[in-house]
Amino acid sequence: MNDKNPRVIKKIQKTFAKMSFPNIEVSLEGDVVHLEGSVDSWDDVVRLGYQAGKFKGVGEIVNNVKVKGIVPKKEARQKKKLTTKIYPPKLPKKADVVVVGGGVVGCCIARELSRYNLEVVLLEKEWDVGMGASKANSAQVHTGIGEDSGTLKKELCAKSWPMYEKLTEELDVPYLRNGLLVVMTKDTFSGKMPSFVGNFLSKYLIPPFVVRKGKIVGDKPRVVKRKELLEMEPNLTPRALVGVFHPGYALVCPFRLTIALAENAVQNGAKVFLDTEVTGVLVEDKKVKGVVTNRGMIEASFVINAAGVFSDDVAAMAGAKEFTIHPRKGVILLFDKEMESYITHQVSLLKFPRDPHTKGGAVLMTVDGNINWGPSAVEIPDKNGREVSKEEIDWVFEKYSSALPNFPKSSIIKFFSGIRAPTYKEDFYIKPAKNVRGFVNVAGIQSPGLTAAPAIAELALDILREQGLEMEEKEDFNPVREGIPIFEKLSSEKKREQIEQNPLYGKIVCRCEHVTEGEIVDAIHSPLPAVTVDAVKYRTRAGSGRCQAGFCGPRVARILARELGISEEEVMQKGDGSNLFMKSKVRKRGGKHA
Amino acid sequence: MKKSYFVTCTLCPMGCRIEVVVEDGKILEIKGNECKKGEKYAIDEFSNPCRILTTTVRIQGGLLPKLPVRSTEPIPKKLIPSGVKEVKKAKVKAPVNYGDVILRNIFNLGVDIVSSRDLEKENKEKKNG
Amino acid sequence: MHEVDVVVIGGGPAGMAAAISAYESGIEDVWLLERDYWVGGILPQCIHDGFGNFVFGEMLTGSEYAQRYINKLRETGVKVRPNTMVLKIDQNREITAVNPSDGLIEVKAKTIILSMGCRERTRYQVLIPGSRPAGIYTAGVIQRYINIEGLMPGKKVVILGSGDVGMIMARRLTLEGAKVKGVYEITKTPGGLTRNVVQCLEDYNIPLHLSHTITNITGRYRVEGVTVAEVDSELRPIKETERYVPCDTVVLSVGLIPENELSKMAGVEIEEKTKGPTVDEQMQTSVPGIFACGNVVNVYDLVDDVSESAERAGKGVAASIGGKLERRKTPIRVKTGRNVNYIVPQIIRNKNLNESTRFYFRVKETEKSVGVVVSANGDKLLEKRERIVRPPEMVRINVPPDTLDKIKGDELTIDVEERKK
Repeated sequence: MNDKNPRVIKKIQKTFAKMSFPNIEVSLEGDVVHLEGSVDSWDDVVRLGYQAGKFKGVGEIVNNVKVKGIVPKKEARQKKKLTTKIYPPKLPKKADVVVVGGGVVGCCIARELSRYNLEVVLLEKEWDVGMGASKANSAQVHTGIGEDSGTLKKELCAKSWPMYEKLTEELDVPYLRNGLLVVMTKDTFSGKMPSFVGNFLSKYLIPPFVVRKGKIVGDKPRVVKRKELLEMEPNLTPRALVGVFHPGYALVCPFRLTIALAENAVQNGAKVFLDTEVTGVLVEDKKVKGVVTNRGMIEASFVINAAGVFSDDVAAMAGAKEFTIHPRKGVILLFDKEMESYITHQVSLLKFPRDPHTKGGAVLMTVDGNINWGPSAVEIPDKNGREVSKEEIDWVFEKYSSALPNFPKSSIIKFFSGIRAPTYKEDFYIKPAKNVRGFVNVAGIQSPGLTAAPAIAELALDILREQGLEMEEKEDFNPVREGIPIFEKLSSEKKREQIEQNPLYGKIVCRCEHVTEGEIVDAIHSPLPAVTVDAVKYRTRAGSGRCQAGFCGPRVARILARELGISEEEVMQKGDGSNLFMKSKVRKRGGKHA
Repeated sequence: MKKSYFVTCTLCPMGCRIEVVVEDGKILEIKGNECKKGEKYAIDEFSNPCRILTTTVRIQGGLLPKLPVRSTEPIPKKLIPSGVKEVKKAKVKAPVNYGDVILRNIFNLGVDIVSSRDLEKENKEKKNG
Repeated sequence: MHEVDVVVIGGGPAGMAAAISAYESGIEDVWLLERDYWVGGILPQCIHDGFGNFVFGEMLTGSEYAQRYINKLRETGVKVRPNTMVLKIDQNREITAVNPSDGLIEVKAKTIILSMGCRERTRYQVLIPGSRPAGIYTAGVIQRYINIEGLMPGKKVVILGSGDVGMIMARRLTLEGAKVKGVYEITKTPGGLTRNVVQCLEDYNIPLHLSHTITNITGRYRVEGVTVAEVDSELRPIKETERYVPCDTVVLSVGLIPENELSKMAGVEIEEKTKGPTVDEQMQTSVPGIFACGNVVNVYDLVDDVSESAERAGKGVAASIGGKLERRKTPIRVKTGRNVNYIVPQIIRNKNLNESTRFYFRVKETEKSVGVVVSANGDKLLEKRERIVRPPEMVRINVPPDTLDKIKGDELTIDVEERKK
């Protein structure tokens, strides 16, 4: 294909010129197109990246196009290290494999690696695992219907789906298979088409097509006529015409899954280091030799780059930047549990023509009983740009109100956003680095990345084997991880037993979610200790209810301080610099009640 | 020279904005009050505004780290910030009863600072709950 | 399963007063369940004065007000169970609760008094956009941090909302050494009492920006600043007026909501306006045997009113257990008339009452020189003059028993009427 390269470059340049970007430099390395130059807006940067990816033979895009006049924001260096009585242990000098990034993918890979007699080290720059896209996504376990055939996304999603039931059972993570309704309404076809034509298409032609497309794994979709549809979901818009039910669709708690994977890896000998940011990758003779972090250096011949939205930056440190991540923000609205029974299946509305900016998203619920809507999809330049605007809140609310027209806006208890990490080819990029042996990029992970994580991990391990990592299975690998008991969900009998064993389980700390002090203390002393208020929340739900920690916030801070052997002023919301309190004069503590 | 000062009356929900006209430190006129009580309020508030001092003080060995305290009588408003600082210096040990004097005769005003509640000792055995 | 005459849920000012009142009315078997380590509710953290003018005839601090009730409670035989959280209640008045020393507790109550109080609205309920760093608190939470825990939540503070707690915390933060950069209030008038505007803000030169709101919060780990803007008559921010205010803390005082999750679980009917249970003159809800009082019914301005409502609930359960209530043939519905937003209680079920029924109501708009008129079937029963009525300040009117008994129909209306000069 080498002789064709100049032709691809020319074609791309020609197209760019037509788009009135004649000054963008285009070059080619293998099948990776590199773009350089500057344009007026971030949208243009993204458009150019996509456009370059459309040409045949282009494997990925490294898009270095800048926006004129905007200097990329440098992250302020973290000022203080995480040090508590119980965390963290000391960074080892050597490891067999270093996994960079503690998202669901990194944790899943670490757990898979912990099946073998290997020194496995996972490095996470935040103060907990799952702090990026893994904690803020739709939480759906997809069957693969949404993906285009021929993509790695679809392949790995379909491969993973059947693993989920066993995986979540082994790891004691909530999993709910409630199914997805794809709904066609009187508004499915917008635009110039007469409504009777649109309605006809929606009612008779589209559903069989959707059913056929959906026959993938274990999922046997079926057409649901209007009457049954409204029986299944009485609060659905009366404009609904017909639906297709995908019984295979499920939900998982994404952050508890990530935490469970990390904990199980730790239980099987892997080491997880929080507040540990990779700042450099050591490469010698085209071979990876280790990583440099804010806590020191680790030698390793194999490094997995699972750094999510930052994976292109980490790849660049190894001289293996073969792709560019363009951050895509998704805003999600979370509603009061009071609305729990309002809708019980996942619902997405079909709409033609499809708006590329609103791809994905649905009326969803969490495994804990909160309805949530979203996510939206907006391209943004800032990888940490998780701010949510008023317009975004309104946009998401209005979009899904068309499915549930009478849903009260006043039941919003929270809004948040996650940043997806797509490449310009919009597929997973799971490959050994072309010029650095032992360095494996596991990047471009976006939806259905949560679902696909187990298969992604298997693929990553296959690549490591190919790269020369010797793997010898452990005899005593234990795939079972027991979670913290969820007091609220226990039977009366079990509640009594639990309190008898540990009276702290009789002390409710979070009034909204009925989380006990026992659960919180157990979370702090779990295999991967919860060291922040948010870490406690993600493990126990304390503070995730309607009062948003108004009641339990002061109490959780106290328990954290007590258990970690630190002062309350050192207690963090989510990581360094997120102190809940400002230092006043040194003082002696008073009482110990929580 | 005549000068006007404004005082918002807090005696009732009317919240009258009362004008106090002053010359050489003497009140010449009071305007804008809807009732007689407002006039007295305005005079007091202009000549010697007083407030109850309320704050907390650190307590040793208590069930809670802070003890709420108050002044037995209102004290001049301008002394409140320094009063809060003064009270902070007090050394208090649990247990304390409601009404116990924490600081006697603050700034020689003839007003004591007293505890606003009972506060028992920290229960050492019962670490949790 | 324990069997108990009266179970009071929540040991704040309402719960304490209700339990005492039930006990003093002759019911000896009273339980008071409190989820915190001791009773008092939020009063112990209200260290400022301004409580008790009606009940005790003097100006007390919140802590003192609580202490006086705690002392009274100690003289009774009420069984106080602290650290006890109610997990479930149902229409048959069966309660499941939990605490560390007794474990799971199951109680069948003859009567229940709901006195769970209210909670603060959060940043999410008023849809303040931006990032989600540490340093965003509701006013009640920082009140607890500073006054109970002795912890400083921040140094440079912006306050949204001019509710009473917000203004009180503006003063408290200032006295503790923080810089309060301003109080921003979205409406045209302060949300709290004039007294607090004067003594908490004006005394300390803290600027109050009316018709302003926060349009964005920035900061990744800790708050770094907020964007504020003026709002138009429909409370929409005016883009051109936006300006950035650096700060490390945002305090919200944007309203309180009665805490009625348990009430709903028990099947109690909830009013749309008050967000609390529909109650009768005894403070009995739509579910027989379940009473409610204090801020769970509607957010009162004064703790004195909370105590008053609780006292009535306590007497109510006693009368109900003693079979002393005489039902009217048809209950009287209390209707809101001119310039009245809502009224508590909403229904009169019984006759030959021992004492006057006090109606509390809020007006829709500020009005000067008015008459509060109670009428039934077009007949004026009672009139009371008010110099001024304002939405943030509740209006009270007492109606004697014989006046109520005279009503033949099933309706009573309260109007606020202009007075001719």
